Amino acid sequence: MNPFTGVGVGLRRPHLEQVAALTESPVPFWEIAPENVVGQGGSRHRQVMKILERDPVITHGLSMSMGGFDEWERDVLDNLRGFLTTTRSPWHSEHLCWTSYGGATTHELLPMPFTRESVSHTVARARQMQAELPVPFLFENVSYYAELGAAEMSEKQFFAEVLEGADCGWLLDINNLYVNSRNHGFDAKEWLEGMPLQRVQQMHIAGHTWFEEDQLIIDTHGAAVIDPVIELMAWVLPRIGRPVPVLLERDTDIPTLEELLAERESIQKAYDAAFAPVPILGVGALRD
Amino acid sequence: MTDNTLALQRCVMDLFLDEKGAAAFAADACAFGAERGLDEPDQAALNRFKPRLLTYRNLIRFALEDPLPDCFPILQTLLEKADLWDACVDAFLASRFIQSSYYRDIHPAFVAWLASSGWGQDTWPFLLQLAHFEYIEVEILRWPDEPPLEGLASVPAADLQVVFDGTARNLAYAFAVHQATKENPEPDAGETFLLGYRDADGDFMVSELSAHASAFLARCLEGDRIGKAASALDLDHIEALELLGDLRDKGAILGFR
Ligand SMILES: [Fe+2]
Repeated sequence: MNPFTGVGVGLRRPHLEQVAALTESPVPFWEIAPENVVGQGGSRHRQVMKILERDPVITHGLSMSMGGFDEWERDVLDNLRGFLTTTRSPWHSEHLCWTSYGGATTHELLPMPFTRESVSHTVARARQMQAELPVPFLFENVSYYAELGAAEMSEKQFFAEVLEGADCGWLLDINNLYVNSRNHGFDAKEWLEGMPLQRVQQMHIAGHTWFEEDQLIIDTHGAAVIDPVIELMAWVLPRIGRPVPVLLERDTDIPTLEELLAERESIQKAYDAAFAPVPILGVGALRD
Repeated sequence: MTDNTLALQRCVMDLFLDEKGAAAFAADACAFGAERGLDEPDQAALNRFKPRLLTYRNLIRFALEDPLPDCFPILQTLLEKADLWDACVDAFLASRFIQSSYYRDIHPAFVAWLASSGWGQDTWPFLLQLAHFEYIEVEILRWPDEPPLEGLASVPAADLQVVFDGTARNLAYAFAVHQATKENPEPDAGETFLLGYRDADGDFMVSELSAHASAFLARCLEGDRIGKAASALDLDHIEALELLGDLRDKGAILGFR
């Protein structure tokens, strides 16, 4: 059975001991960031490795600065390749953003300029990365709070052109899309119209936080997923037409494992319902 | 052609990481962009998204500062008492010492920055050594595990070499950094020799050493045979063997060969 379907969960430090002690995985798959695992040791690391050997895992990168200009660190790439092979991750994803400039790193997902020049730069970097990796590469759409420089195109067009130019897969983060639609005042379903949904291999779903002071939603991954985001996931899944895996992200204010698994369960129900056959109306009336 | 994308990224890094850059940006975003070679449409975009770009600055600061208190709790307590923690973080971020794509490398970058800049060390001459010792605990706890070695002797002898655990660190400080606490963050001056390591349970351990014992272990770490290392320092061979046997029991030494 393909484990990479249904709703998985990001493997987080506070849950390691509990998850490692289980005899089987409580989720269809986990997601993990290789850069937080490779080159480490000690008891916590041993727990991570025990889980990764036992359970299916998808890898997700945070700091490759795909739209940046700094050369990739050779040892980081070597470690990544090794990790992807060890974990048998079906693909590897990174955000369409930049994180570093001039050797200095921000560890923040920063927006690209929405320009033709920026498209071709990012496409070239993505093609280099694809040539380095032993598995297919996916770009994730990010939450962006500002445009960087004068835009020549919409964010939608920018993202679609990079996907097409790089000829890579798409990690559709449905919460990022929702956050952007609220912060920038557009309709999320309209945004999805005409987008290359055939490229979607995985989805992310997460919670976010409204900051009154800034009048801004920040993609904190620090709260439960809200219903409109779950509904958007359920709306897009049949349009993708395949039961692509959805990953529940939670990075701050991390609840107990039991609470997180209960949240996963409720999202899984919405996921299953999205693929349930539509009942034929009127059948009951015929029987009468 | 990637000049414009590059120029934009270079420009906003000054806003994101430098306190002075942020102040200049907040005062006049267009001028800030112009000084950094951006054309007028890009300057106008900076100005239009001014509050949001300042939000990014806050997010970056949060992301880069967040891992520090866990690793440097005593140093942070000391600087917070002096109301200088934020200034320390500002100077650290502006230094652009955070370069690795591994988030965990923010810790050693902080120590490297203290060493290079000398920040705060006129007031607190022990600051770098305290930070180093606090970092060593974290480094030892997450140091990569090594595959078990076969065929090691469990009892030391003069003609054998010592095989240390990969986490063993022979440390020398001019302050008793291991005695500093959050309540009492200023360590006393005085030559301090320590051996840090991870024990069999995965916990951080530290043993106090004499100057002689530290010099002896340094030679053993370099690969000297035990007898040769002890003789070179005029050490009592029996005491030297006892020290090694004790460290093996504790887990700092894997065995002898
Ligand atoms: Fe995501």
